[in-house]
This record gives sequence, structure tokens and C-alpha cells, in this order.
Amino acid sequence: MITRFITDVTTRFNPFSTKAKAARLFLTFLPPNARSNGMNITTQLLPRTSAEPSTLHVKFKDGKEMNLDCETMGIKNLVEEVDRHSRILQKQSDLND
Amino acid sequence: MPPRLRCPAGCGLKSATTITGASRRRTIAAASHSALLLPSSLSTPTVPTSTRQFSSTAPILNSLSSLRLPDDYIPPTTPPTARPADVRKAQLLRTYTSLLRSTPLMLIFQHNNLVASEWAAIRRELNLALAAVPVPEGSPDIASKIQLQVIRTRMFDVALKVVEFYDPSTVAPTTGVTASGKKTTVTYNHDLSKSAYDAIKAATASGSTTPESSPYAQLSPLLVGPTALLTIPTVSPAHLAAALGILSPVPKMFPAPSKRKSPGYYDPIAQAGLQKLMLIGGRVEGKVFDIDGMRWVGGIPGGLEGLRAQLVAMLQSVGMGLAGTLEAPGKSLWMTMESRKIMLEEPEKKAVEGEKKEESS
Repeated sequence: MITRFITDVTTRFNPFSTKAKAARLFLTFLPPNARSNGMNITTQLLPRTSAEPSTLHVKFKDGKEMNLDCETMGIKNLVEEVDRHSRILQKQSDLND
Repeated sequence: MPPRLRCPAGCGLKSATTITGASRRRTIAAASHSALLLPSSLSTPTVPTSTRQFSSTAPILNSLSSLRLPDDYIPPTTPPTARPADVRKAQLLRTYTSLLRSTPLMLIFQHNNLVASEWAAIRRELNLALAAVPVPEGSPDIASKIQLQVIRTRMFDVALKVVEFYDPSTVAPTTGVTASGKKTTVTYNHDLSKSAYDAIKAATASGSTTPESSPYAQLSPLLVGPTALLTIPTVSPAHLAAALGILSPVPKMFPAPSKRKSPGYYDPIAQAGLQKLMLIGGRVEGKVFDIDGMRWVGGIPGGLEGLRAQLVAMLQSVGMGLAGTLEAPGKSLWMTMESRKIMLEEPEKKAVEGEKKEESS
């Protein structure tokens, strides 16, 4: 996953729900030095009884925001969706260099 | 490559020089077969039935005892694994099942790409905090036994199934033949046995549904992705509170240690690690708790002793209340009668006094 262009990741999930898998795995895809490189990662864990859907909110350097639906999309689809925009940004930054 | 065969097969066959090539190969095969089935200590009749034994179908062994291969013979078709012993799947499964059976209190964490130096910093701070927990007189010091370990999630999931759905006592003993030809009953009921495999397969087959209330059904959604366990060998809320103060601090309940007291905790490496470690749940005495539940367990004042003291106090107050309630009607009846008596006596006294006054005047 290309994480260079992500500035903000906000997740919210109930770990006891099977639907939280994608959101939890997305967090594991972020590199070890993500926070020290200026990425804001906020995770909110919901109590066990809550039936709120798990959410993932990603912000990019160019200001684009993505509200991804973790309930139906698997981790592969999430990564694909995020990379689709990241690749555009990468192309632009490569042209500028 | 591991050592294969110390003794070349020919040296065992010196006595049988007349054997031709083809039959010789067969004898070696039989001998290698028998060598694996020949633990001499197991042929004694005093062997308990629960120990592992090797069954064999070869009573001809006695005639072939001179062809015995060395005990550490490794067949060339099944070379030993190159993996270190403690991370082999079989060993991991044994470790995890015994961990699940013996550990009453465990916390489950998700770790997102922590690096080794961050793990080291977190473990250091955790050990410091746990060592500072006061241990009551007479109870063993468990601080050194508490450990934060990364687990193999899938193996842990299987181990949880084995612990949950497999009862070793239900396995029927089977009859086997020892190397010396004696018949014995053997019970293969260890965690890696076929019966354990069948039990967990049957319990989690697509047709059968595990009940929602079972601990496995509750815990299995947590076992996704990279997970780590904090295992505490007894239910000790004091140690749990200390661990929570380090690993997932809450401002008032479980405050993080102060900067002056433990400067290592505010080390950027430790802090970076702690940001990536998140508490997702726990298991206490076989029951599954979420974060709030774990905080509740950690917040029990005085630990189990404290809970017992609370219970005793509650029962005592109930007893006193009951005694008071039972006493009350009798007491009130006595009071009523007594007051009535006083009421009746007073006019009589007045009358008597009046008569006395009349007489005196």
C-alpha cells in the first residue's frame, strides 16, 4: 500500500464484531514510522454491545477525503481504493521532480 | 543436513551374509520399521495407559533384534524440520492449549508494526511497573511470571477450539500391541491427537453452529491480524491495574506513571510503541470481557480478597437487618403492652393518691 500521501487515518470499530476485520487490518498496513512521518492515526474502540458500523476515514495530502465502507469491503478492496488515489498523487509528484 | 544414519546398514547384517540384494533391502526396511517401535521401557506391564505408546504389528521382531537401527535413526524420506523447536506448529499448539488452560487472566492486544526496540522498551516499562506492585504477605510473587508475548493468531485460534470443544476424558482407549508382542490398552487423547482434530472439526463444521454464548464464538472475532497476549498467572487486579497503567492508560482510573518516576516511559521509542499497541479485549476465568470489562476487573479494590471482604460485609449487614426485622414485631408488641400497662397504672395511682389526700384533709 502506498502510504506516503496519506495524512490522516481515523477508524472506529467494535473489535468484537466480525465486520471490524477490514478496519483492523488496514491499521496493520501502515508502516512502523507512520506517526513519526506526520500521519495522524486515531482509533476509537467501541464497546462490545454497540452495533455501530465500523468506519474508516482517510485524508490525503491534496485534501481529498475518503469515507470507506469497512462493512462490505474487504481489506483488498480498501487497499485498492486507497491506492487508486495514491497512484495519481505519486504520478504527479514524479512529474514535478 | 541432519545426521542420517550413524551405523551403515551393512554392519548390522554381518551375521546374515547369505541374504541376497532384494531380500536384504526388505529386511532393512523391516528393521528400520521395528527400530522406531522399540522403546524397551514401554513393554513393561506397569506402564500407565495414558502415556504414549507405539503399537506394532510385528511379533517377528525378536528374530530381528540384531538388526536394530540406532534410536536416533532418521528416515531419509522424512528429514526433521529446520524450524526451531519452539515455533513448530505442534509445539505452538501445545503451548497455547496449556496457556489457555492454566492462565485465568489474559489481555489481548493488537500490535500494528511494532519494531523490536519498541517491544523492548514496552516490556522494560511493563516489568518495572509490575515489580513495583506491592505483594501481600504469603502470596507468591507473580510479577516475574507475567509476560507480554506475540502469538501466532491462527494457531491460537485452533488451540482455543481444542480447549473449548475437546474433552480428553471422553476418548475411549484402544488396544495396541507393544514391541514385545503384549496387548495393552492405550488412550490417544493428547491435544494433537486425531480425536482432538475430529472434535474441533465437528464443532466448527459449516452445518453446526457454535452457540453465541460460548467463549470461542465471543473471542474468535478478536483473533484477527497481528495479536499479542499479556498473560497473568492469577487473577490479580493490582497487577492488572499496573499493566493497564502502562499499556492502555486512562487519566483517572489507571494513570500513566509520572515523568519523574519513570522517565523511560516517556522515551520516544516507548511512546511510539505504545501508540501502536491497542487493547481489544480480555479473558478472565474463561469469560470474555471488552476493554471496559477489563478496566472494571482492574479497578476491583484489594483484588479477590477485597471482593471477598465486600461479600462478607454485605452478608453481615443482611444478617443484621434480618435479625432486626424478626425482632421488631416482638419488640413493638412489648412496647405497646408496656405503654398500655403504664397508662392503666397511672389513673389508679392518681385515684389512690386522691384518696390519701382526702383522708389527710
